[in-house]
Amino acid sequence: MNNFANGVSRRSFLRTGAALSGSIVAAGMPLSQVIWAAEGKVLKARARRDIAKLDPGFYQGGPDVDVMNCIYSKLTHYKPGSEWGWELEAAEKIEQIDPTHIRFQLKKGIKFSGGHGELTARDVKFSFERVIKHKSPDKGDWGPLDRVELEDDYTGVIVLKAPYVPLWNLALPYGVGHIVSEDAVMKATKDGGDFGMKPPAFSGPYVIADWKAKQYLLLTRNPDWSGPKPGFDEIRILPIADLKTAERGYQAGDIDFTSISLDSLATFKNSTPADTKIEEHPSLSFTWIGMNMDHPELKDINVRKAIQWAINVPQILEVAYSGQAVVATGIIAPEVVGHRDKALVSPEGDLAKAKDLLEKAGVTDLTLTLDCTNASTDTTIAQTVQAQLSQIGIKVEINAQDSGSFSTVGKESEGERWKDLQLIINSYSSLPDPYYATASFVQDQVGVWNWERFRSERFDELHAKGLMVEDHEARAKLYYEMQDLMEDSGAYRFLTHGGNPVMYRTTQTQAATRPDGVPLFVEFSPA
Amino acid sequence: MWFYFLKRIVLAVAIIMIAVTLLFFMIHAVPGDPAAILLGPRATPEMKAQLYEQMGLDKPLVVQIAIFFGGLLQGDLGYDVFSQRPVADIVFEQLPYTIELILVSISWAVAVAVPLGCYSAMRRNSVVNQVAGVLTIATIAIPSFVMAVYALLIFAVILRWLPAIGAGDGFWEGSIHLILPAFAIGIGWVGYISRLVRASMLEILGENHIRMARSFGISEWHIVAHYALPLAILPTVTILGVGIASLLSSAVFIEVVFARPGIGALIVDAVNTRNYPIVMGTVLVTSFLVVVATTLSDLVAAALDPRTRENL
Repeated sequence: MNNFANGVSRRSFLRTGAALSGSIVAAGMPLSQVIWAAEGKVLKARARRDIAKLDPGFYQGGPDVDVMNCIYSKLTHYKPGSEWGWELEAAEKIEQIDPTHIRFQLKKGIKFSGGHGELTARDVKFSFERVIKHKSPDKGDWGPLDRVELEDDYTGVIVLKAPYVPLWNLALPYGVGHIVSEDAVMKATKDGGDFGMKPPAFSGPYVIADWKAKQYLLLTRNPDWSGPKPGFDEIRILPIADLKTAERGYQAGDIDFTSISLDSLATFKNSTPADTKIEEHPSLSFTWIGMNMDHPELKDINVRKAIQWAINVPQILEVAYSGQAVVATGIIAPEVVGHRDKALVSPEGDLAKAKDLLEKAGVTDLTLTLDCTNASTDTTIAQTVQAQLSQIGIKVEINAQDSGSFSTVGKESEGERWKDLQLIINSYSSLPDPYYATASFVQDQVGVWNWERFRSERFDELHAKGLMVEDHEARAKLYYEMQDLMEDSGAYRFLTHGGNPVMYRTTQTQAATRPDGVPLFVEFSPA
Repeated sequence: MWFYFLKRIVLAVAIIMIAVTLLFFMIHAVPGDPAAILLGPRATPEMKAQLYEQMGLDKPLVVQIAIFFGGLLQGDLGYDVFSQRPVADIVFEQLPYTIELILVSISWAVAVAVPLGCYSAMRRNSVVNQVAGVLTIATIAIPSFVMAVYALLIFAVILRWLPAIGAGDGFWEGSIHLILPAFAIGIGWVGYISRLVRASMLEILGENHIRMARSFGISEWHIVAHYALPLAILPTVTILGVGIASLLSSAVFIEVVFARPGIGALIVDAVNTRNYPIVMGTVLVTSFLVVVATTLSDLVAAALDPRTRENL
């Protein structure tokens, strides 16, 4: 059977089928696409969802930005590799003149497609200011951006209303940092607003040749591109929501680059597909168990601390992530400024200490609810926590719900459910600046995204200061303290940052990713 | 006949309106906030209010449903919350993939199951009938998504004969991509339909007019094909009409397992993200499909059996 299977490849199988269906093929069916499409410099990669928006000023998430990286230019971009950093892209040079002024000088000769001329400082001004002017949901990325002043065709100054250090990590090299053509956008939209899914002009190394919703996005070389030639003639991005499906697609040879699930990682490492390299990357997201500090059952800090100490994190990760995720020390991921070396509460916890704290609180026969999504990882975490807390006499009732329902469970604007919320398993995605992670836990966010209802004047003060401090070490210290404050409140038990392992076919490509494993397709090179 | 059509059209409109209205109130009854999902953690209350206004979510539910039906009369299903693309565009670009999947699945299932059912009825004590009986029950018992996963592992991952994911481009590539998903959905129906045809056929073959035909010396195969099958197939035709809803449910799993485009995967995603306009548009179309399929099955049944025709 094996010999037969090895001897009959898909190509020969399809060729035989093609021969048998000769009359159909003769009628003009694009058989060549089936059998020979994979030849040439073509990269086939998985995206976790289909594109939802191609206007950088109004992007909706990572998969949109992965494509924007290929079709637009921006002043700087993330460096591929294992350390977070940026390097110049459309900018010849860029410098911080003072805390609220950043001067940039563009490279000459970057052209917009469709005869929309050269990329100039005017386009930069237009692209950045429209995000604020049109009240984009992404305007937070620009923080206190005031305006862009033009000095000449290629030089301009970004003017901020207040110092904003995250601009270097969140805005310039990411979504809202992409530059669109003022001429093209004004013609397409009249008011310069959201152009949705139809880019009026391209300025990156690739253009969109074809897009079939929920099926694929095809990028081909931009004939007007004058910068360094990217490695592949074509990039075909396939939206595959389910990681397991993507893994099967990779094994079947349908894609050459994909993320893999943590629970499959050990299997793939033990039995790596032929010509495959597996890379493990820490994710930027963070998962934790939160406690509603305003709930009567959890008002006493000793109860919250007892729960913190009763939870054994490595045990949870072993069960829920097949032991492939590392313990989180806070909300800021490894390699990002402000990542703590260790948490205040030891990962394994301490049952005796937990019992003492509970006794100190004078609590017996405590029953708590634990809200989580119905995703298998979350329900597994919930069941493990349920077992662990039972060891100190706390009964846990699990309330698993779909992600849509869960997304509002702690929101004051969505009814009264937040009042009954007790324990929560939550997970937030993040970006490579600590500000992005801490923004959800300031007092303004209580009942919005801060479901633990954690309030700390000091935290808010440090958060505001974190926007202004440029020195990495000094800035890191602020975020260490903020995470200490969160943990000291007893309302948080940090679990993990998860992980984003990827695999790719070495006979097809040498992948290039950000430190968190997100692909930088332009930097991929053919094998 | 014309009265029958008019009656069915009125009924269809009523069914669709009831289904869509029920769903509308149901999805609003469960917690969830599309604005929170769309705008993310840094959304200000003003931005949220603006989005609610833009989506019409600031209006009372009764007004929202009235606006939906008003738009429907003008061919406007609203706009996707996330991409701002027209819902009609999104639904109708996904619909053909689901329809072709369902049609191919059910077609091959019927093509195999009907002869199998007839043969089993004619040779009811044969070994082939016994084996077919066991196999058909087994295929009914195995859920289509389990079949999908194993078919994918064997034919795409191990043997690498067929693609694992996607829907392909053009007729030939599209057909190749349809083989595994259609197999996974259709295999259960092979068992179901063949059992149904066998049971009906056994009943019909024992009737007087069939015995009469035999007494005239007409061959057994001719009797089965020309006299028994048109009557024995009637329950199957009716089941197929109603079965469209079940096929749509199977399509949801299959579209996820094979990363195929289609309205099954679309509706799951839309429900999870509380993308109300897409949910409404998709349910409208699926309700319409169910109504069309049941009407067609009634008409086919009428064409096959004069007694049914008289009742139209």
